[in-house]
Amino acid sequence: MMNKVKNILWPLLFGIAFLALWQMGYVHKVLDLKPFQLPVPLEIVQTLHANLPKAIKDCGVTLSGAFIGMMIGSAIGFMIAVIATIFPKWGYGGLIIITAFNAMPIVALSPIMNLYFSTGMAQKIGVVTIVCMAAMAMNAYSGLNTLKPYSMDLMHSVAAERWVIFKKLRLPNCMPNVFTAFKINVAASIIAAIISEYFATSTAGLGFGIKDNLRKAEMAMGWSYIVVASLAGVLIYIVILLLERNVIKWHASQR
Amino acid sequence: MFKKRNLKLVLVMLLMVSLLMSACSSSAPASTESASASETTTESSTSTDTPKEMDKMTIQLKWLPQSQFMGYYMAASKGYYEDEGIDIEILPGGSDIIPEQQVYNGVADVGVTWVSSLLKYQSQGWELKEVAQVFQKSAMLLVSKAETGITSPEDLVGKKVGSWFGGNEYEIYALLEANGIDREKDLELVQQDFTMNQILNDEIDAASAMTYNEYGLLLESGLSDADLNVLDMNDEGVAMLEDCLFVTDEWIAENEDLFVRFLRASIKGWQDACADPEAAGQVVYDADQSVSLEHQVYMAKEIAKLVTPEGFDPAKIGYIDMDAIQQTADLAYKYGLLTEPAVLDDTTITSKYFEEATK
Repeated sequence: MMNKVKNILWPLLFGIAFLALWQMGYVHKVLDLKPFQLPVPLEIVQTLHANLPKAIKDCGVTLSGAFIGMMIGSAIGFMIAVIATIFPKWGYGGLIIITAFNAMPIVALSPIMNLYFSTGMAQKIGVVTIVCMAAMAMNAYSGLNTLKPYSMDLMHSVAAERWVIFKKLRLPNCMPNVFTAFKINVAASIIAAIISEYFATSTAGLGFGIKDNLRKAEMAMGWSYIVVASLAGVLIYIVILLLERNVIKWHASQR
Repeated sequence: MFKKRNLKLVLVMLLMVSLLMSACSSSAPASTESASASETTTESSTSTDTPKEMDKMTIQLKWLPQSQFMGYYMAASKGYYEDEGIDIEILPGGSDIIPEQQVYNGVADVGVTWVSSLLKYQSQGWELKEVAQVFQKSAMLLVSKAETGITSPEDLVGKKVGSWFGGNEYEIYALLEANGIDREKDLELVQQDFTMNQILNDEIDAASAMTYNEYGLLLESGLSDADLNVLDMNDEGVAMLEDCLFVTDEWIAENEDLFVRFLRASIKGWQDACADPEAAGQVVYDADQSVSLEHQVYMAKEIAKLVTPEGFDPAKIGYIDMDAIQQTADLAYKYGLLTEPAVLDDTTITSKYFEEATK
């Protein structure tokens, strides 16, 4: 109990101290910055407060795009992992192609997606989908295939059919990997969504807000978008953690 | 087994490459110190003769190396900077390189930016000063395909209109509001990327275009002038000034003489470039092959029209027309770029060095 409190208290204290130093201008001194380059926390909060409805709306646009894209991308990735498991000979090629997709930089992908989709939302979902496929495909594939040696023997000894093996053995076995992939994809999807908005045919979203305001010297506004973006990222990460805790209670990492 | 060995091979190769690279980079600093500037910009000078005491100077462009900045490239290639005892380095810009921030942070000594954007930074407290006005006219157009039927600002109602935003939207805001169009309700403003694909694919009805760049891209993609309708900000009375030169107060206070010499050489470069845009396009193309020679030459010709409009004396290149500046400031305030009227005095803009350089 004491340890738990300590674990929370120290980071919290550190955070508060950092904000205080930032507010009082020491951070500016160390980094040799002026307040109009890096706004102080209070100014950021005030700006955010004054523009809250717009910031929340933009956050909603980005998050919904990121979420839908992540779901589609993860689903495709999972399907490819399944195909690669069932048809190992040629299915593995699909995995390699997906990994190659993953190497494409988002800055290159975003303008390309503009060619196929005319709205900012569709473009965003397109970018996030591609970004999220690889992590899920590779992780799920490894989960579906890295089986404990004796478990496969057991399945064979009871003459289980392939489908049964898949349902009873492979699928549960890959759940921890799937969640690992989700955790990777949450961060990746938000980053991808935000960067894609730099190039999107739209003026909505956190990415556009950050880029546009920082360019126009509206630093406080730009920073309040950055704050919203990181809060949203943390929030979604927590949701995934809670979900994981409930779905794979049996796994060693959760005990 | 086979796969593993392959992987190992790849790893070993990667290691060797990285070793090589680090070996190169560790030996580099000594040589780059002396060679970088002369290598990047003053190709004309032979590196063998050791120059006299040269003052180092850096200019930050607003965008990629292209004929938009041909005056500086011309001056560098003809050795005008060298003649003035300046070792110039030309830093290209990009979509997220902001000249105001580069110059303020000391990455560059002089910057090229749009007046409207500079006014915004000045109003936020950045101690920056405009010292020369290179473009005398606005190059901003709103183009649309002829079949869309946009011949006047009123026709924009209900349409999808593109802008690059980030400070480039205010002429369009001014155009709309001057014609009683509500930019929130009457039409949809969307962000444009740096290609013209959105208008070519009819994803948007009207697109922002600079006379010297994007309009040329449309022509190169097979459209002719007759296929396009154009709203010109100069004709619509909402023109804001674009490319100007600016410095920080701190830097100019210590480098007055250096800047005057720089300006003199730059003006000479611009005069040569405007007199012979074909040659200027070639010079820029030689410095950077990011776009085709044809496009650089097209751009050079269009830029010449902005730097020396009809009836403008080439000797006065860089002249600050305070009326045009005032209009830019008024529009910027009226249409929301600035929250209070711009301060236009010696602290923000001065012709002092221009007069000194053109004496």
